[in-house]
Amino acid sequence: MKTVPLEAYLILSLLLFGLGVFGMIVRRNLVAILMSTELALNAVNIAFVGADSHLGLVDGQIFALFIIALAAVEAAVGLGIIVAIFRLRKVESSDELTDMGG
Amino acid sequence: MMQWVAFLFFASLTLLSALGVVFLSNIIYVILSLLSTLVMVAGIFFVAGAELVGALQLLIYTVAIAVFYVLVLTAVPWEKALKKDSHYRIEGVLTFPILLAFYLEIILVFLIGVSVSPKGQIREFIQNLGNTQVVGSILFSKYFFAFELVSLVLLVGMIGAVLIGRKEDKTYEDSTS
Repeated sequence: MKTVPLEAYLILSLLLFGLGVFGMIVRRNLVAILMSTELALNAVNIAFVGADSHLGLVDGQIFALFIIALAAVEAAVGLGIIVAIFRLRKVESSDELTDMGG
Repeated sequence: MMQWVAFLFFASLTLLSALGVVFLSNIIYVILSLLSTLVMVAGIFFVAGAELVGALQLLIYTVAIAVFYVLVLTAVPWEKALKKDSHYRIEGVLTFPILLAFYLEIILVFLIGVSVSPKGQIREFIQNLGNTQVVGSILFSKYFFAFELVSLVLLVGMIGAVLIGRKEDKTYEDSTS
């Protein structure tokens, strides 16, 4: 039985990470920007787990678990900031946050 | 062969729903695409033989974190969330060449890394035990300090989220006008 090579996981991880970064640049909605961040984090997890199945180790899976835990923290704090921004300023789009613009 | 079929199925659906996350304009469709992406990534973890990480992906990501996002969407009024021009079109086109150069750099790093990586010597040791057993034994021996640090970070993040999200006495308009 032929197994999936490391290159396939890395190509998938690359495409997903690129989509995440592109979404972070392009999206206007703050919640959608955070969702694009989740895409990038998942791409890194795929690279870790694919390298694990290639090498026969489990260290990458442990780092993937750490990344999942930190993604939960990031989502909680980031969404808390978005709710606070919305409550104080009544905006939820990144081009309306012009406090530091000249 | 079977593994290839499963991998290609999950990978194509992952990329399709990721395209939906980046390009759809209705925020409800975006969160549904994100949910689909997360489930498909869990499928890729199962294909790669990482059962514990796949199960935790399903439990933590597609349940807990997706519920966070839905909760925040309920705090935003409907007519604002459905606003039409939801993308920075000009900025996206301008930054696209930089993004391609970035892709090229990652490909180079990946190719160099693949060419020097060793080819599965430790596999025999792991096949005698289950995946979860091996992950647990290494997590609680070699990475125990990092594990404790992650729990500390979770605690700090929880306190921070509570502090940021609590109700303020006065709003921005009160302090400026």
